[in-house]
Amino acid sequence: MQATPLRLREKCAWGALGLLGFIGLWTALSAFGIVPRQFLPSPLDVLARFVHLLTTPFAGATLPQHLASSFQRYAYGVLLAAFIGVPLGLLMGWFRWLDDVVTPLFDGLRFIAPIAWVPFAALWFGVGIGGPILIIFAGAFPPCLINAYRGARFVEPRLIEAARMLGTGHLRMILEILLPAATPSIVSGLRVAAGLGWQSLVGAELIVAAAGVGFMMVQAQANVATPTVMAGMVAIGLVGMAIDVMLRQGEAWLRRRRGLPA
Amino acid sequence: MIGRRAWVGLGSVAAMLLLWFGLTTATGLISPGRFPSPADFWLSLNQIASRGYAGAALAAHALQSVKLVVLGFLVAIATGVPLGLWMGWDRRAEAAINPVFLIIRPIPPLAWIPLAILGDGAKIMVIWFAAFVPSVINAFAGVRNIDRPIIEAAQMLGTPRWRMVTEIIAPAAAPMIFTGLRLSLQASWTTLVAAELVGALAGIGFVLNMAQQDIYPGMILVGMVTVGVLGWATTSVLGLAERRALAWNVAGRD
Amino acid sequence: MGSIRFDKVDKVFGPVSGGVKALDDINLEIADKEFVAIVGPSGCGKTTCLRMVAGFEPPSAGIVSVNGKTVTSPGPDRAVVFQQFALFPWKTVRENIELGLRNKNLPRAERDGLVAGALRLMNLESHAGAFPHQLSGGMQQRVAIARAYVLDPEVLLMDEPFGALDAQTRVVMQEELVRLARVNPRTVLFITHAVEEAVYLADRVAIMTRRPGRIKEVLDIRSVRAAENWDRHERIEDVMDLESFVHLRTQIWKSLREEKGPHGA
Repeated sequence: MQATPLRLREKCAWGALGLLGFIGLWTALSAFGIVPRQFLPSPLDVLARFVHLLTTPFAGATLPQHLASSFQRYAYGVLLAAFIGVPLGLLMGWFRWLDDVVTPLFDGLRFIAPIAWVPFAALWFGVGIGGPILIIFAGAFPPCLINAYRGARFVEPRLIEAARMLGTGHLRMILEILLPAATPSIVSGLRVAAGLGWQSLVGAELIVAAAGVGFMMVQAQANVATPTVMAGMVAIGLVGMAIDVMLRQGEAWLRRRRGLPA
Repeated sequence: MIGRRAWVGLGSVAAMLLLWFGLTTATGLISPGRFPSPADFWLSLNQIASRGYAGAALAAHALQSVKLVVLGFLVAIATGVPLGLWMGWDRRAEAAINPVFLIIRPIPPLAWIPLAILGDGAKIMVIWFAAFVPSVINAFAGVRNIDRPIIEAAQMLGTPRWRMVTEIIAPAAAPMIFTGLRLSLQASWTTLVAAELVGALAGIGFVLNMAQQDIYPGMILVGMVTVGVLGWATTSVLGLAERRALAWNVAGRD
Repeated sequence: MGSIRFDKVDKVFGPVSGGVKALDDINLEIADKEFVAIVGPSGCGKTTCLRMVAGFEPPSAGIVSVNGKTVTSPGPDRAVVFQQFALFPWKTVRENIELGLRNKNLPRAERDGLVAGALRLMNLESHAGAFPHQLSGGMQQRVAIARAYVLDPEVLLMDEPFGALDAQTRVVMQEELVRLARVNPRTVLFITHAVEEAVYLADRVAIMTRRPGRIKEVLDIRSVRAAENWDRHERIEDVMDLESFVHLRTQIWKSLREEKGPHGA
């Protein structure tokens, strides 16, 4: 594997090349009718529509307003998942008995795809904010828990032994040994959780919301306004990318501090 | 192997079941319109297993769903893992592909659902979009986390490109790759159920959809439990594969 | 054939200006089949020298060459024995040793023969099917050496190979290495901070300064060994008892002590 990271200039150059290639391919597919126009409008159509939606409302609000509404639900769901999942995972990684109690329950629920909660979410919350949050939580929770658990469980045994030899109590062990050691795994889990949460969000909004980007896309689908659907996708993609970039920066900073390769 | 651990587990589950019974049938704190009682659940299960619901019996619906999930999953990992490995190894590939990947990735595959109505192939494509991502991310991380000396030793031994990938990088990254596979499988199930909720005429998601429209909580729960069981079954198969592939790995506090 | 040459070599880590200068004007020539040890304080850059010959790091200035050809990339002609063994945990002992030979596309029969020879040489025959984590440190290092040796490389690069071993195993390995070197000599660059090990094993010992590392002096051991006939003694402790040995060792210690800072760092 190449040891040295690329300089920023090189990174941008290659990135630009990749993006151009992608857009070129898209334009070709649409322009030459390889994929029917209904399903794949040209990049220009989508861009125009995107700009239009920045100021003109569709399905009740402008695009930025829909995004804000979606992001709020998303944030609640993911933060809830992180604040419950990470500590629980760490505790389960350390206290065997807790692992034994929780794991069967978690294993039972874990395999139920988050989206399968939609019928109940609709039943309980109608189109209220609780529905999407429930579904996002269901999606974002497992990676938070699992990664924290694995991070704590698979800490280098020597480190645990050294800490025990030094008379480290439970709380300190978890906060000063397990948590730092598990942090790379936790951060990786948060990245995945953030991604899954964002995806679950739209899935949830497709069915149980009265505002938000997913809702906007459903309305557009119903009217076969595909450029709007894709404009929504672009918006979701951009926000998702921003979230991921921030998390990656955080992850890279952390790895540098720890002396791990970038 | 029925050790202390299994007993504690059984205890947890038993406690949950008691709680369920208590909150619904015994005290009526949760009304049947909101969440089914154990009895409601049992009745619904019987119905769909024997007489059928939403057009077919439980087994037929389950088979349909599993078929699509497995196909979509396999396509996703066959493309995602190699891509992740490549991006992990070659920094130029990473720099070129990452921006596109980052934009595509958060776009919900569910936005392609209208296409999914077109049939099984479209559903598999939608599953591919969803399951592809975790495999790439984890394969990528797996490669980046490989100990430098291992790579250097392989280079020193004059290992050619193809062998480097199959005999050095893939095994070294295998633990993280399998983490990615687990996540991909989860994503496959999620996407499939969503696709079937919205645009299908068979499958467990379709059952859930019908149950929601009929306001039939007992059947909703049956659908959810079935999704859970099928998810568990497929994940266990994956777990078996993982155990065989990682037999050499000495991790854990056990 | 297997000569190594450092020609005005510098090494800077980090950005070109303001980075850490690890090596400063290294000049060293190692003749074919010569065994040279580099000793020096921690962080002096001795491992970096080895890594440059191995092809893992390029010099910032100057030329590192083997057989007159500038080193550009790693390869089995310059086999490396790593301090942390760097065995492939998912491969058995046999598979670890075999990989280099498979990369050379040797036919099965020849490979099996060479591997069997290496296993015998390193006393690993009964462990051929084991995984690295099932072996002790000493055995793992044997596997690492076998893996390098089986390639019959012109140049053998050993980076504190016995550093992770206990004292007894270390002694056994040192004796073995001497035995191998006498029987089948090749160019060896050996990094260590154990002075006695260097004097026992090497033909010449190069002493490096503190960072930025420079070659302070190079002592000739071979002539003393020949003159005093160290080889008449089989056991390491008998050699280390000899006055000529002690004299050389002390000379090196004194030189290294000068490299320590005022607080012995």
